[in-house]
Amino acid sequence: MASASSTEPFFGIREEDHRNQMKQQQPASMPTSSSAAAPQTAAPVKKKRNLPGNPNPDAEVIALSPKALLATNRFICEVCNKGFQREQNLQLHRRGHNLPWKLRQKSTKEVRRRVYVCPETTCVHHDPSRALGDLTGIKKHFCRKHGEKKWKCDKCSKKYAVQSDWKAHSKTCGTREYRCDCGTLFSRRDSFITHRAFCDALAQESARIPTGLSTIGSHLYGNSSMALGLSQVNSQITSSLQVQSHQSSNNILRLGGGSGSGSHFEHLISSSNPSPFRPPQPLPSSAFFLGGASNQDFNEETQSHHSLLQNKPFHGLMQLPDLQSRATASSSTAAAANLFNLGFFSNSSSTSSISTSNITSNQNNHLLISDPFSSGNGSTESTTLFSGNFMSDHMAAGMSPLLNTSMRNESSLPQMSATALLQKAAQMGSTTSGGSSLLQGFSSASPSGSRSTSFQAIFNGGSNGSGDALRFQMENETRLQDLMNSLANGNAGLFGGSGGVAAFAGSCTTGGHEQQAGGIGGFNSGLCNMDEAKFQHNISPGNLGGSDGLTRDFLGVGNMVRSMGGGLSQRGRHHGIDISSMDHEMKSATSSQSFDGGTLQ
Amino acid sequence: MSLSPAAQLMSPPVPWLRELKADERGLCLIHLLLNCANHVAAGQLEHANAFLENISLLAAPDGDTMQRIATHFTEALARRVLRSWPGLYRALHPPTVPRLPPDALLARRHFFDLCPFVRLAFLVSNQAILEAMEGERVVHVVDLGGAASDAAQWAALLQALRVRPEGPPHLRLTVVHEHKEFLDLTATRLTEEAERLDVPFQFHPIVARLDNLDVEMLRIKTGEAVAISSVLQLHTLLAADDLAAVGGHQRKTAPPLAKNPSTTQLHRIVQMNHQGTLGEMLEKDHANGHSPSQDSASSSSLALTPSPKTECFLASLWGLSPKVMVVTEQESNHNGPKLTERFMEALNFYAALFDCLESTAPRMSVERARIEKMLFGEEIKNIIACEGGERRERHEKLEKWVQRLELAGFLRVPLSYLAMLQARRLLQSYGCEGYKVREEDGCFFFCWQDRPLFSVSAWGFRRF
Repeated sequence: MASASSTEPFFGIREEDHRNQMKQQQPASMPTSSSAAAPQTAAPVKKKRNLPGNPNPDAEVIALSPKALLATNRFICEVCNKGFQREQNLQLHRRGHNLPWKLRQKSTKEVRRRVYVCPETTCVHHDPSRALGDLTGIKKHFCRKHGEKKWKCDKCSKKYAVQSDWKAHSKTCGTREYRCDCGTLFSRRDSFITHRAFCDALAQESARIPTGLSTIGSHLYGNSSMALGLSQVNSQITSSLQVQSHQSSNNILRLGGGSGSGSHFEHLISSSNPSPFRPPQPLPSSAFFLGGASNQDFNEETQSHHSLLQNKPFHGLMQLPDLQSRATASSSTAAAANLFNLGFFSNSSSTSSISTSNITSNQNNHLLISDPFSSGNGSTESTTLFSGNFMSDHMAAGMSPLLNTSMRNESSLPQMSATALLQKAAQMGSTTSGGSSLLQGFSSASPSGSRSTSFQAIFNGGSNGSGDALRFQMENETRLQDLMNSLANGNAGLFGGSGGVAAFAGSCTTGGHEQQAGGIGGFNSGLCNMDEAKFQHNISPGNLGGSDGLTRDFLGVGNMVRSMGGGLSQRGRHHGIDISSMDHEMKSATSSQSFDGGTLQ
Repeated sequence: MSLSPAAQLMSPPVPWLRELKADERGLCLIHLLLNCANHVAAGQLEHANAFLENISLLAAPDGDTMQRIATHFTEALARRVLRSWPGLYRALHPPTVPRLPPDALLARRHFFDLCPFVRLAFLVSNQAILEAMEGERVVHVVDLGGAASDAAQWAALLQALRVRPEGPPHLRLTVVHEHKEFLDLTATRLTEEAERLDVPFQFHPIVARLDNLDVEMLRIKTGEAVAISSVLQLHTLLAADDLAAVGGHQRKTAPPLAKNPSTTQLHRIVQMNHQGTLGEMLEKDHANGHSPSQDSASSSSLALTPSPKTECFLASLWGLSPKVMVVTEQESNHNGPKLTERFMEALNFYAALFDCLESTAPRMSVERARIEKMLFGEEIKNIIACEGGERRERHEKLEKWVQRLELAGFLRVPLSYLAMLQARRLLQSYGCEGYKVREEDGCFFFCWQDRPLFSVSAWGFRRF
């Protein structure tokens, strides 16, 4: 019975107050127990104290004023002003001052018994027939029932009007142990009684509610507590998006332009400490991971990276077939795919060792490394190598942790809770939209205006920088285009399931051609772009301004493309890059697909 | 714009939509829902329709948590869309005299049983009342709104009062509820209980809605110690303010307090329907007029929207000089002016509640489905689909209520440690670690994981 159970605690806890005469005044149907044992379970009376308020009829009835009753020390020593409650004590004290003293002798003759009534008119003890037999009794009664409870237990906040009650309680409060049948231990009786009430209720209820759910709950808890960390990060991200996007633009600038130091890059890859890149990192996946990890210490982070390594074969299994099938589909991208693949693996292994050239070197080194390749195999490969590195960097920094976490999740519980999903989604949304609402970035009805967001603008800046830097390395425009193209493809693939990197892709495109970037940027702002492209294009064909036909075409070819990849490959066309744009599309399509698989596992 | 692309859209996504993993599907659903809400808010019905079609492929009322949530949110969105064609809407949902659907009562009962929140609210409220009423001989408890439609709170209070050290007081209980049958049921039950416990007890039913309530009807007598309890009810007051604010210049006559609820009720409904569409139109214009950048500067400030009627009512409650008023409210802001804001807030709030259920009840549980449909689902529909006076689920966070109540003259009374102790014990007995009680400035928050879902605060006429 739910209602009954919820009141039990009151009953139980109040009971301790009951150990006074008042209680004995209850009608016979409510018998008293001399101990303070749990009244619900206690058997009716074991032993009867002589009931107070049943005085000798011929006793002298004394009514004291409340003041007299509350006065603690009525007998004052004239020498030291020390007060005493009893005259006898004062007399003994006077002896110490060498004052005349006199103890009253026990009179042999029969004294008339005195009884005391309570001055409170509403009180049962106000009636002389219910008077109490001794002065201390009436004093305590008056204090307890009608006085202020000024003695408070520090441990359990229980208040007492009589100091001695409080002292007695303080001695036992928290010392005794109570054990419920369910095995729970309690240090305080009131807690125990409260618990008992609900424990019984639970026993009744559990008959209706299937068992074993609590374990699921704890699993869920384990999961979402991690997600909770996320939400903090997320709120940070959302609240100060301006700042963060600025930061991330800086990072991108360094990354792309190669101006970033090696150590900075190391941060990106190793994630060994909260790198400057991490908080603003627009990847939902990485942010997702971050949320969990950023609150933890270093050890845990490295641990998770270890588990990332353990997961690595799994990546390989997942991705290699895809990449190889693509290799057969288009020979020109085969090398790229392989290289990309290599890059990925080398970097993810380097996550543990942090010693390969990729990591210790900065972006320039990357490009230098890629040069031999490019001389041997052509420009596309060099760029794809770069893209491979680029991607794998992100993989190591952001994506793989997601994989890692999500895999952990899968091993421990069937799926994420709705709360966790929302948080994850919010993380994604925060990268593109800004503001507190996920929705705001998605006003995709008018993508032409989407460039107005500061985020996009900052990305433009960042990517311009990277463009310049790349130009510095690259000898001709085509290479740049290729590089960017592959970057875009890589990004698109990488972020097949995430909006954040779409912004990256957007930035790459804006570096080259800001004209189109507007449209694409808006397009990129999707949260979970599995279908964004499709929706955009299918629902509002005019919205993307001229890219519609291409997209459709692309959709026709790629068919399985779910992401920006499509949109970005258009950019490739706009740029007039002719390196088998179809292949590019295919590549982006397939790679995005494979990464989709990877990211969303 | 033709609808044909949207129709084409249906064929390609189906295969891969179906084979999504649960988490992917969840994310996808969130994404689709948000986009859909955006389109609905912007009045782009073709787009909204396309999204709704896609969501329907993924959502399922008996699926995983996200699928269930999506089901109810899409229904709410669809309803909202439908409301822009009042004719269509009324044909499908003819205005009926509000009656108490037995399912709704049952759903509340299940919610009470399965999730500890309501029980916690009762427990803490009763403890606060009990502490405030210590030593009082005549206690008058006013329940604004039937304690979330459950007599359990008062049965519990009766028992608690019976065993208090100074003996039980004379208890008068006034319950305000809009359904007479509920009041009758409560009366019978509580009278029996009081008789059994031998507590002097009087029951006053008041058939009225909170926004119709005149404090005179409560018949507070001098000399009684008054306690007021509101469990998930106060927010309904805010609807009346909106009604006044939106339709103030449109309406010629606005009877502030209906003396005769039964006749004015129908009248009100007609008015509210009208106002609802009007409010919606206004909002639509509002949403269209906004550029995205303005949109991002969302109105999440703490500023209190003027709510003269609520203030007036709270002030009149204060005028009763209650020794304590205990307020339980949903800890979420579902009273934003913009649909998108409300949608987002509601999505988060109800996701947590759905998660609670997921952890407590199996997926095929009838009770769970009933809670989700009849309780949460109805609330979601109200938050998303309704406007104006019809939108009654105007949950607001405690910070706002603190402002309002302090404005009305109330002083916050910290809830006691004992109350916390009892709440903790209750949660312990649930055996599910997800539930938590948090204390902040003497108020309690009932949380799922770390997300506060309900708040309880106690208020006094004077500082104790």
